[in-house]
Amino acid sequence: MAGWGGSSSPERARLRKLPEGLVEEWEREDAEFRELRRRSADWKFIEEQPPHLRAALLYFIEKGDRYVAARIAGLTVEEFDELRRKANIPVVV
Amino acid sequence: MLGVADACFLIDWARFRRRELLANLFELVFVHEEVLAQIRSPSAIDFVSRLLARGALRLYPWSAAEEELYVQIRDEVALDPRIPSLERPDLLCLVIAYRTGGALLTENLGVLRVVQFHPTYSRVSAWTALEVLEQMVYKGLAEVRSVEDFISLVSEYCEDTKHVFSSRRMGEVVERVRAWLAR
Repeated sequence: MAGWGGSSSPERARLRKLPEGLVEEWEREDAEFRELRRRSADWKFIEEQPPHLRAALLYFIEKGDRYVAARIAGLTVEEFDELRRKANIPVVV
Repeated sequence: MLGVADACFLIDWARFRRRELLANLFELVFVHEEVLAQIRSPSAIDFVSRLLARGALRLYPWSAAEEELYVQIRDEVALDPRIPSLERPDLLCLVIAYRTGGALLTENLGVLRVVQFHPTYSRVSAWTALEVLEQMVYKGLAEVRSVEDFISLVSEYCEDTKHVFSSRRMGEVVERVRAWLAR
């Protein structure tokens, strides 16, 4: 996110200006949520999964996004949700 | 009170031991048919079907005008790397909540962030399960006589759904409940 405001590309110029400090607040929140997911995760279970499921679980730990993680895993959102519960990874909001 | 539920909210809430209380909190909860299509597990389908049968949940009659609103907000947020990725059904729910004035029931971080800053969509009340539990206290649907009772109620939800609420969100809600209990 660093240096974002200084970009001059047309796509970036279209981005809405956010209230001061909000992006920094989101970054702090993302870090807190990621750490909670990492700490809680059953890493042994994750390592035992086939590559595509392992990749989906690792993505979920990083981003907390069930939809994209489900797509990576080739599962429905609910099937992925069952997997992340077995891997002891919480949804953090 | 009206609500609009997204898929993750319904999937999670269907696991909650007190899931039936949702129908007592809202007069009506709208759901988009694309959200309904995401719900597949027997337990969640059973829960949603019973809500539909009781008339507590209803399919939203989506219109062309709403599709235009969806395209506008999609074009804006899809290009914004500061917002976590948002799928079409999440944004459909946001548009429905905006149009109906209903509370948006969501666990989606991207949606929660859009309503924090967007001049149009910041008028939408976006509630996670935590705020839904808070409202249940205010409506007398959950017997809570102390902050500890409320924390215990939240713990039930977290245990059943494998959820964690952020310290900021939890702190804000607990303070509101504390003030309400002391009124």
